[in-house]
Formats: sequence, C-alpha cells, structure tokens
Amino acid sequence: MALRTAVLRHIRVPAQTLTLTGSKQQQWSLSGSFRFMSSHDDHLTREDVIERVLSVVKSFPKVDPAQVTPEVHFQKDLGLDSLDNVEIVMALEEEFKLEIPDKEADKIDTCNLAIEYIYNHPMAS
Amino acid sequence: MSFTLRSVKVPPNSANLEEARSRVFEFFKTACRSLPSIMDMYNLDDVASKSQLRSVISSEIRKNSHVTNPKVIDMLLFKGTEDLNNILEHAKQRHHIIGQYVVGPQGLVQDLDPKDRGMSNFLKNFYRSNYF
Repeated sequence: MALRTAVLRHIRVPAQTLTLTGSKQQQWSLSGSFRFMSSHDDHLTREDVIERVLSVVKSFPKVDPAQVTPEVHFQKDLGLDSLDNVEIVMALEEEFKLEIPDKEADKIDTCNLAIEYIYNHPMAS
Repeated sequence: MSFTLRSVKVPPNSANLEEARSRVFEFFKTACRSLPSIMDMYNLDDVASKSQLRSVISSEIRKNSHVTNPKVIDMLLFKGTEDLNNILEHAKQRHHIIGQYVVGPQGLVQDLDPKDRGMSNFLKNFYRSNYF
C-alpha cells in the first residue's frame, strides 16, 4: 500500500500531449481506407479454394494423396463409400466454416463440385 | 429433468431402408456439427483432433453397416442419439469420452459382439479371463 502510494505520487501522466495529438489522430482514422473490422471485403480466390479443398481430401485417411486431382470423383475414383463422402463434406464445412444444407451436400460427390460450391458461397472463409 | 424428457422422445419409425439410410447421414452430420462444442466441453484438443473424432464416429456407424432391417437401424440410431445427448448434456466425464472414442478404436476396449470379427480368438479369451 505504501509502495503504491509512493509510486502514484511520482508518476505524472502527460495529459496535454493527448489533447494536442487528438486532432491529428482523428484525421488519420477518417482518411484511412483500411477498415479493420469490416468483413468479407476480400473473397477467396479460386486457386486458394482449389488448394484447400484438395488438401482436405488428401488428408482424409483412406485416400491415397497421389490420386487426388480437381476432377476426381470421391466414390468412383477414390473407392470411398457414401458415408466417407458425407465425412469429406463435413471436413470441408469445418475447413471453410460453412454449413452446407442437406440437398446441396448430397450432390457434392466430386472435387470439382465442391470447389464450385465453396467458391460461389458468400460466407466461405 | 430436461435431458430425461428429451431422450425419451422417439421419432416415428422409418418406413423403408432409404429413409433409415438418410437418417443415419443426418445423425452423422449432427454429431459432426456438435464436435466443436464437445471438444470445448471436455478439453479434448490436446488428445484428439476433430477429423480423428469424425473418423471414429463414422467407424462406429460402419460397424453396423451389415444391418438392413429399418427397425434395427432406427433402434441403433436411437442409441446413438441418446449417447450424443448424454455427451452434450455433460452427463459423462472426460475419461469416458477418451476411453470410448479416443483410445477405444486402437484396441483397449473389449467389444465382445459379433461386430469385432477381425479380432483373434486368443486375444478375446485373454480379455475375457481378465475382466469378470
């Protein structure tokens, strides 16, 4: 307690510097075009989506990573079953922070369709 | 009280195999979507990853892939939903989850059903004699 009062007695906050620089700072923040908290200004690029979709599919334990190309069909080419297909779709949902409704999720059975869907989804990130 | 009431609620039976099949996928999706909250709840981030747990759920489902009777599938789904609800209601503890779903698939759990046909007889007898 004694230490605290001693410290507080000797600390001087330079109050006038804030009021002097205040006008400058305000000007800067108004003129700055960089909006820190704004969302979805930059959408995912197509290459980015392709790369991330392929890495999700490649990291699936039953898949041979060498076989994965953007045109690959999950069940015909990779030898997966329908449950694996759903599992991959769920992994993609997690990766891109989406929720894909059942009707669309049933249709996604190739890498290409997944890439198309995610690229055109407004909330993908 | 709330969780007993919720777990008692039974959906109507599936009319055919196709409906039961789609319900299985629905259940799998619900389970996968609740994984993040489960991992938060039980602090599972340092013992397992989401994709690992997802594979465990799908392998649990695949264990029963030979079932073709819609009523039996409904019953299994009911059990699965009950288990999921119990986990989400925090009716289990961390070591239950770890024992059943993280360590379990690698072989410390003695699942003496017709499901585990791949296991050798020697091991089965060994486990049986040790756990009365």
